[in-house]
Amino acid sequence: MARPRALWLLPGALAALPAYHAAYAVQYMSVAEAQKAAFADASTFAPVAVDRAALDAALAAVPDSALGTGWAPQVFAAKKDGATEGWLIVDQVIGKAEAITYALALDAQGAVTRLEVLEYRETHGGEIRLPAWRRQFVGKTAGDPVRLDADIHNISGATLSCRHVTDGVRRLLSLHAHALKTA
Amino acid sequence: MQTRRARPLLGTLVDIRIDHDGIDRARALAAIEAAFAEVAEVHRLMSFHEAASDVSRINREASRAPVAVDPRTREVLALALAFARASQGRFDPTVAAELVGWELLPRPANAPAPARDADWRDVEMLDDGRIRAAKPLWIDLGGIAKGYAVDRAIERLAAFGIEHACVNAGGDLRRMGPGLEPVHVRDPSAPHRTARTLLLGEGSVASSGSYFGCAHVDAMKRTPISERCVSVVADRCVVADALTKIVMSDPAAATPLLGAWDAEALVLERDGAELLGRAA
Repeated sequence: MARPRALWLLPGALAALPAYHAAYAVQYMSVAEAQKAAFADASTFAPVAVDRAALDAALAAVPDSALGTGWAPQVFAAKKDGATEGWLIVDQVIGKAEAITYALALDAQGAVTRLEVLEYRETHGGEIRLPAWRRQFVGKTAGDPVRLDADIHNISGATLSCRHVTDGVRRLLSLHAHALKTA
Repeated sequence: MQTRRARPLLGTLVDIRIDHDGIDRARALAAIEAAFAEVAEVHRLMSFHEAASDVSRINREASRAPVAVDPRTREVLALALAFARASQGRFDPTVAAELVGWELLPRPANAPAPARDADWRDVEMLDDGRIRAAKPLWIDLGGIAKGYAVDRAIERLAAFGIEHACVNAGGDLRRMGPGLEPVHVRDPSAPHRTARTLLLGEGSVASSGSYFGCAHVDAMKRTPISERCVSVVADRCVVADALTKIVMSDPAAATPLLGAWDAEALVLERDGAELLGRAA
């Protein structure tokens, strides 16, 4: 093979690396990018207000994915020439060690057309569920022991869990059935 | 210009990153789309959980009549059986019965209970490409299909003219392109710490850690393994993936296999680290 394959950096060989105490965090897409990827020809993405009663009804329909208060998915209606082509819903799920913000695209009939991860953050249990608009302030707390390290592009030896996304998608489909379905 | 996307597939996060200087953005996005589609295809064919997958059909029907499967499933199964043979059963795609017993996998619906003594030697690949089981058994390609999906994704990207990319399926990753870039291997006893760093050029690495409750089965004794963390470097990710399980089971016995596949392994025990294979 013409190109080198791999080189282990081991303590003693080269400079011993300090152990990283860093959380893995990756921003994949913005909400605008996810909108465009899912609905290339939509001209507007109108925010849809979903009231608490509708959220509660949607949650009640999927009891085994129960989630505390604070569920605050952001819903956008993708429109072209005034007609709704479908919806893009941005939500986040929090697992034991990770928080995932993702976007689910549904067509006008409510069928899933796309699922994109917008952001993946390791939390090691240190994060609580917050509405997206408040999250911008999180992580700026002085003395936060966990540093988000931009150098960590690749990790191995860690199973990046996505289990909770499946439950999240079920909740969003229920939300569509309770609050968005037009017919 | 770099583009990075992730989707939940294969029970984990699949992350695709490409550098596409000189390739227009639409084509780069189409390449990523095609790579994810290929991973989704491998998931659909080889999922233990989905009733319509080739694997589920084998588990339901192969002990009664030969089952026709997709060529990709056949390729992965053939490789799994080759590793089973070469490792004298330390890697065994029929350990699903134990994983179900420990509730790590769901019980397959409508599949006959596996024979107690069934193992990889009872899986037959017929000349016409179909799969037959000599006795009822449950196969799970989870220990190898993830690496295979990563390889297929890299091949799809290459077919679009992408020369510089990294595909990571929950820690099974493959990279192509110039240079070396760091891959951080997590410390199994302290998951937020990087235990070792690998500079990866063109090749693959797969890791198994007990961290996050990731389960491994000693295929010989049919008991769980949890103390050791292993990372294997090989050209193909499917090879790294399979060898990881064999090294987990028995590092000393795996060493000749590492040589045969031109691979190397880093074994992290609670009390230290050891390099095996070509780098040793």
